[in-house]
Amino acid sequence: MNVRQALRNGFIIGTISIFIILLGLTVLVGGIVRGWFDLSSNALGAWVLLGLLALLGGVNARRNTHAASWKEAAVAGLAAGVAQGAMVGIFVGIVATLIDSGTEVRQWLVQLTPEAIDLLRFGAAPVAAALIVFAIFTLAGLLGALPSYASAHYQWGAAFRSWFWGMRDQGLDLPPVAAFREYKYAPYIVYGLGLVLLLIAPQLLGRYWNYTLGTVGIYVILGLGLNIVVGLAGLLDLGYVAFFAIGAYTVAMLTAPAPHNIGMSFWLVLPIGVVLASITGVLLGIPVLRMRGDYLAIVTLGFGEIIRILSKSDVLTSFTGGPRGIRAVAGPSLFGMDLSSSQHFMYFIILGIILVAYLTYRLQNSRVGRAWMAMREDEDVAEAMGIYTLKYKLLAFAIGAAFAGFGGVLFASRNKFTGPEDFTLLVSINVLCLVIIGGMGSIPGVVIGALVLKGLPEMLRELDDYRILVFGALLVMMMILRPEGLLPSKRRRMELHEEEPTEVVAAGGAA
Amino acid sequence: MAMLEVRNVHTYYGNIHALKGISINVDEGEIVTLIGANGAGKSTTLNAICGLVKPRSGEIVLENEAIHRLPAHEVVSKGVAQSPEGRRIFGRLTVQENLEMGAFRRADAGAIQEDMRRVFDLFPRLEERRKQVGGTLSGGEQQMLAIGRAMMARPRLLLLDEPSMGLAPLLVEDIFRVVRQLNEQGTTILLVEQNALMAFSVAHRGYVLETGRVVLEGTVDELRENPEVQKAYLGG
Repeated sequence: MNVRQALRNGFIIGTISIFIILLGLTVLVGGIVRGWFDLSSNALGAWVLLGLLALLGGVNARRNTHAASWKEAAVAGLAAGVAQGAMVGIFVGIVATLIDSGTEVRQWLVQLTPEAIDLLRFGAAPVAAALIVFAIFTLAGLLGALPSYASAHYQWGAAFRSWFWGMRDQGLDLPPVAAFREYKYAPYIVYGLGLVLLLIAPQLLGRYWNYTLGTVGIYVILGLGLNIVVGLAGLLDLGYVAFFAIGAYTVAMLTAPAPHNIGMSFWLVLPIGVVLASITGVLLGIPVLRMRGDYLAIVTLGFGEIIRILSKSDVLTSFTGGPRGIRAVAGPSLFGMDLSSSQHFMYFIILGIILVAYLTYRLQNSRVGRAWMAMREDEDVAEAMGIYTLKYKLLAFAIGAAFAGFGGVLFASRNKFTGPEDFTLLVSINVLCLVIIGGMGSIPGVVIGALVLKGLPEMLRELDDYRILVFGALLVMMMILRPEGLLPSKRRRMELHEEEPTEVVAAGGAA
Repeated sequence: MAMLEVRNVHTYYGNIHALKGISINVDEGEIVTLIGANGAGKSTTLNAICGLVKPRSGEIVLENEAIHRLPAHEVVSKGVAQSPEGRRIFGRLTVQENLEMGAFRRADAGAIQEDMRRVFDLFPRLEERRKQVGGTLSGGEQQMLAIGRAMMARPRLLLLDEPSMGLAPLLVEDIFRVVRQLNEQGTTILLVEQNALMAFSVAHRGYVLETGRVVLEGTVDELRENPEVQKAYLGG
């Protein structure tokens, strides 16, 4: 029984808790929770946040010490609890004393308002407050460790973990899930329900959510395209936004009244945008695809910036609209019906995703897909096996660019606007991140990745300034806990969790 | 009439003169071995034959057809396949997919299935692991996979680059048994080895390379008797 390990876990959580209090996050979360439930004080929200952290301390301590009995689990939880409780308790005690003695702590720690500490004191004197905080953190550590041990000990725990760690194919589903999986029509029911949900969702969602989820959807399309380039063919393209921009500017310049007043129909422009982006992909590809790895990344990054700066340049203002962008981009219409509301667009985007996902799926499991994967693994050997690598690289670039162009057309047309600031480097980075977070090479992974990366910041909007901080922390945690992504392809799971399946099967069998 | 003729080939890596006029012949049905120390140019010779390294001068002729100007992916279609040094299997593809990649240029689905059967008969271990990703195989299994993958191209000339590297002696015996078997089934083999003892036990003829040049050639028996070879490569 490694008590030191448990203590160390407690200290980590203690540090994080103090950090959160110092940043004023407890006050903020407390305020949000108060607003939701019409409470009279911020204390509940603050304590829920800290309590969850303290529980996590217990869970981690139990897991990292590999506690193998109820008693050991209790000891681990208690040790972590004492460590985190002592840290936070002493901290609260000291700050409370300072505040009570009239010291202005905010002159050193700007976010540490008296309220942040008052929330945690229950109106007690400094020493009593420190003891209360200590007791709560200790108890939470213990409470975290015990169920965590139970979940590791019993079958449903194994089932949950096997699901979480992405080994659903190991047959460790919860009994009702497993029974459903056996059922012949199960896939049809799942797909049917999914389809119905997709059909009615845009009706139920308001303007705001249709717009937000529409953006997520467009990022799904971008992600699926980049997934082919990076995930399958292994070409690190950091200038992916360029093709997105080309799609967007194509629809803008050909349909908007200014600067060209061509006024083409959306339906005609859609294929033009896709093809133009794809051609640009090939044109860029021919010179740069002889480079490998980092060099390719740098050159493509430069290309992405060139496109953005060109679109912004004063010289080209009469052609691209310059820094002010292009307004009044046309939306689609069908039989005289205008279909450009964000609700209608949601349907387009859903259809687009289905189309692009289907194409990706077919490509992935084709001869072309295998050639890409071989090339990603070892370019020389792939060449020696008879794969004309340049051709397949260009193909990957062209298809990825076509998807991005498609996304760009939808984006500009839905926003009825396009401008240089829509196409910063950050877009490329975001798309790359969502592919990685979702799980390289996995189609459902891209969807989840886009939801997390574009949807979550939107949902965290209430945390305003903190959301990027929280989001960053989530990303770091995610990469440590699940390097293969949220919904990895089967292939990635096989690589990263090669030893674990046997272990889990053995544990499940014994229980 | 030689199946493969390498005529006075010079190659460079940047400014480094790697092959300084290599000439070798391989007759149909032979096993020919190239031995030599690290950096002698053995692997470069194989890569030049494959088209992965372009000769600056000299020519490489396969059955009366010059192949030294062809890109690597076209050389495969001429009937040359390589099992590269260090195995270099596709670590994230399954065993079966690795083998399928070997047959990438072929369209004859039925014959590909037959060849896969043949690989699995030679290496039953691979059949047991056909759904496993290549990166999780042991070193010996990876070597089997690399050879199997090259066989899937149905080559008439098979280039083997150090198949014994890093393998336990028993596995080395296994691999060389298969090399002999393949040759008896009609595949011509050009074998690069550091383990001269093993190479001589299967080959018919051999070349000794030193710093980019052929310094000795002859039948295996002649080479084995040669005092220089004995001293440098056979530890005696």
